[in-house]
Amino acid sequence: MSEPATTPTPAFLWRPRGAWEGIAKIGGHGASADAPGIRLTLREGQGLATIVAADGREADLRAILAERFGLSVPEAGATAFDGERGLVWSAPGQWLAVSPTRQGFDALPAALQGVAAVTDQSDGRALVRVSGPKARTLLAKGVAIDLHPRAFGPGRAAVTSIAHIGVQFWQRDAGPTYDIAVARSFAGSFWGWLEHAAAEFGYEVA
Amino acid sequence: MRIRCPYCGERDNGEFSYLGDAAPQRPDGLEASAEAMHDYVYLRDNPAGTIRELWYHASGCRSWLVVTRDTRTHAIESVEPARDVARARRSGEAA
Repeated sequence: MSEPATTPTPAFLWRPRGAWEGIAKIGGHGASADAPGIRLTLREGQGLATIVAADGREADLRAILAERFGLSVPEAGATAFDGERGLVWSAPGQWLAVSPTRQGFDALPAALQGVAAVTDQSDGRALVRVSGPKARTLLAKGVAIDLHPRAFGPGRAAVTSIAHIGVQFWQRDAGPTYDIAVARSFAGSFWGWLEHAAAEFGYEVA
Repeated sequence: MRIRCPYCGERDNGEFSYLGDAAPQRPDGLEASAEAMHDYVYLRDNPAGTIRELWYHASGCRSWLVVTRDTRTHAIESVEPARDVARARRSGEAA
């Protein structure tokens, strides 16, 4: 037997990259860059995980999340946040866990063994925060969902698509401020929609 | 046409995929006659009026739904989670 062929791996291939690196450009863009109508905050380094309850174990899941992690489980179409840490409803029996640190949910899989499937999505989704006076108008150009405050306010969440790209978004405050999560491999395509849709209002990327 | 998903609310029908009639029940493949399997696989009613059909909320909550719809007007009478329909049917069979 000959020795297996080995190729030294260039170190730069394994440098951690942000989801928006090489896609989003920091700074002011579009019309009226002096008084931008949109502010886009790139949310890098968040800890994300999907939680899928095992059939019939939702009550156990709620108990464990409350007792061990201090997390309350939101109802359909809602979020439950404590600061920047919380859960976003994504489907019946399924939630997206969001933490400001990558290690935020390291203890989840072991704690939820047999109760729920936990899948790390920290490198799987790209997260961007949309705020500014034109945030609702901007989002309304992309989603076929009523975003009027009487229909969709702080604490509401939806899974839908923007420009044929699957998105999950939720409203953080009445500003309004929205967080949008998109599959990381679609970050470039999604950003194409976002920057073109925001150009008319002027937007600042931070 | 808009479909009121029981989980997500009213959504454009472009978010959904259509499967078809929700009525056919798969016979036991080892027990059923060839005629019964043929009926299950190929034969469908095509009513002018109310039909119960399966839709999948692909771009939303990824739930299968049973939509009761009038084929003449597209008016939707009710939308139920398919798993609730299946569970109700199973518990009906068990009773």
